[in-house]
Amino acid sequence: MTKKTLLGAAAALCGLIMMAATPASADLLDDIMKAKKIRISTDLAIPPSGMMDSSMKPTGSDVEVAQLLAKDWGLELEFIQTTGATRIPNVLTGKADIIISTLSVTPDRAKVIDFTKRYATLQSDVGCLKSSTVKDWPDLKDKSIGVSRGTTQDTTLSNMKDKDLKIARYDDDATMVTAAVSGQVDCVASSATIINQIGVKNPSRVFESRIPLATFDLAIGLKKEEPRLMDKLNAWINENVKNGKLNAIYKKFHGVELPPEMRS
Amino acid sequence: MSLQLDFPAVLERWPSFLAGAVLTLELAAFATVLGALLGTLAAVGRGTHNALIAGACKAYVETIRNTPLLVQIFLVYFGLASLGLKFSAFTVAVAALTINVGAYTAEIMRAGFEAIPRGQIEAAEGLALSRLQIYWHIILLPAIEKVYPALTSQFVLLMLASSVCSQISAEELTAVANYIQSDTYRAFETYIIVAVLYVILSLVMRAGFWGLGLVLFPRRRRLGTPL
Repeated sequence: MTKKTLLGAAAALCGLIMMAATPASADLLDDIMKAKKIRISTDLAIPPSGMMDSSMKPTGSDVEVAQLLAKDWGLELEFIQTTGATRIPNVLTGKADIIISTLSVTPDRAKVIDFTKRYATLQSDVGCLKSSTVKDWPDLKDKSIGVSRGTTQDTTLSNMKDKDLKIARYDDDATMVTAAVSGQVDCVASSATIINQIGVKNPSRVFESRIPLATFDLAIGLKKEEPRLMDKLNAWINENVKNGKLNAIYKKFHGVELPPEMRS
Repeated sequence: MSLQLDFPAVLERWPSFLAGAVLTLELAAFATVLGALLGTLAAVGRGTHNALIAGACKAYVETIRNTPLLVQIFLVYFGLASLGLKFSAFTVAVAALTINVGAYTAEIMRAGFEAIPRGQIEAAEGLALSRLQIYWHIILLPAIEKVYPALTSQFVLLMLASSVCSQISAEELTAVANYIQSDTYRAFETYIIVAVLYVILSLVMRAGFWGLGLVLFPRRRRLGTPL
C-alpha cells in the first residue's frame, strides 16, 4: 500500500465523517481559546524530534516547539500521540487541532490539509567521515554511499546516473547508521540530523555534512479553511524565527542550526 | 475497491530485475559449492573419534541451526567491519550463506553416512581396498547419492533465503524489488514478478542438480533407478 493510497483513503474516510457531522463549529481558533487547551498531534517515536526522556516525559524539538506555542498562547497542551501515517488523519477527524511532527510540505499533502509557514527545515546531505577528503561529487568516485532504500535521498542519488555513484542501500535508517558506525561505509546520504548522530554513537567515527542534497520545509499542519488559526500560527512562527527561539530549539536537539535566513 | 494491475510500468525495469536475478543465482552458486564442502567436512569431523574435533563440529552445527540467518548475516557484516576488516556486501553474503547452509548440509550428510551398512564397509576391507578408496567409493559417494534429494532441496531453500541479503545492501532480486516498488508505488505487480522469477530460478537450479546427479551417479544414468 502506498502513502498516496493511504492518504487518499484517509481523506475519503474523513470526508464521510465530516459530512455526517457538519458544521460543528464556525472557527477552530475560537474553540481552542474557549477550551483553553490545544491538542497537538506529535509522533513521539522519532528521536530527536519527538521521543520520551528517561522519566517517560515527552521531549524533542517538535515537543519543545509545541510547548513554546502553548505557553505563548496561555493554553494547556495535550499531545495526541501519533505515528507518521496517522498524523494527518488526526487533524482531519478532529482528534487533534494541529500537527507539529516533522511534517514536510508536499503537494500531495497540501491537497488534504493546509500548511503554515515553515518553522524548521529538514536538510539532507551527503555526509562523510571527518578524516576523508570528500568535498564534491567527483571525490565520491569508488566510495560506497549508504542510504535507506526508497527514501528521497536514494531516489535523488539513483537518478544521478552520469555521476557513476556506488550506492549501498539498507532497509532502514537504523541499519544504515550501524553500517556507518561499524565502518562498512564512509559516506552516507541522509538528513543532517542522522549524519550528526553517527559520531554521537561512535566518537571514533565522526561524520560531517559535505555535499548538500535537498532541503525540505517543515510546517505546522491544520485543517483546511481555518484562516484565523492559520494567521495566528504564521504570526507566531515569524516572531519566534526573529527572536531565535526556534533556531535554539532546533540546535539543541539536532546539533545543527536552521538555514541562515531562518536565524535571528 | 477495484484492483488495477499495471505490469508494463514495472516490466520496463527488466534490466534491474535481470541483474538482481543473476546476483541471486551467483550468491546461491557460490554458497552451494562452498557450503557443500564445509558441510561434508563438518559431518566427517562429527563422526571422528577425536572428541575435540567432533565437539567443535557439533557446536558449529547446533549454533547455526538454532539462530536466524538474518542475525548471522548481521554478525558477519557488522562484526567483521568492527574488527577493521572491510569486505564487499557480496563477499559477506556468500560467507554468511556458506556458514549457514554448511550446518544444514552437515546434518544431511551425517544421515547419509549413518545409512551406509557396516557390512558394505567390511566387504570393502575384505577386498583389500585402501582407506582412501573405501572412503570415496564405499562411503562418500553412496552417502551423497542417498541424501541427494534432501541436499538439493536445502540448496534451493538457500537460494530463496538469500533474499534477506538485501538487508546488508547486496543488490539481489529482493533488494531490486524493494527499490522498484518504492519508486513506482506498484508493490503488488513488482512482487508478483519477483515471485515468478524465484520460481524460474528454483526450476533452473533443480534442472542443474538433476544433470549433476546423472554425472555423479553412474547407476542412475545407466539403470535409471535410485540407490
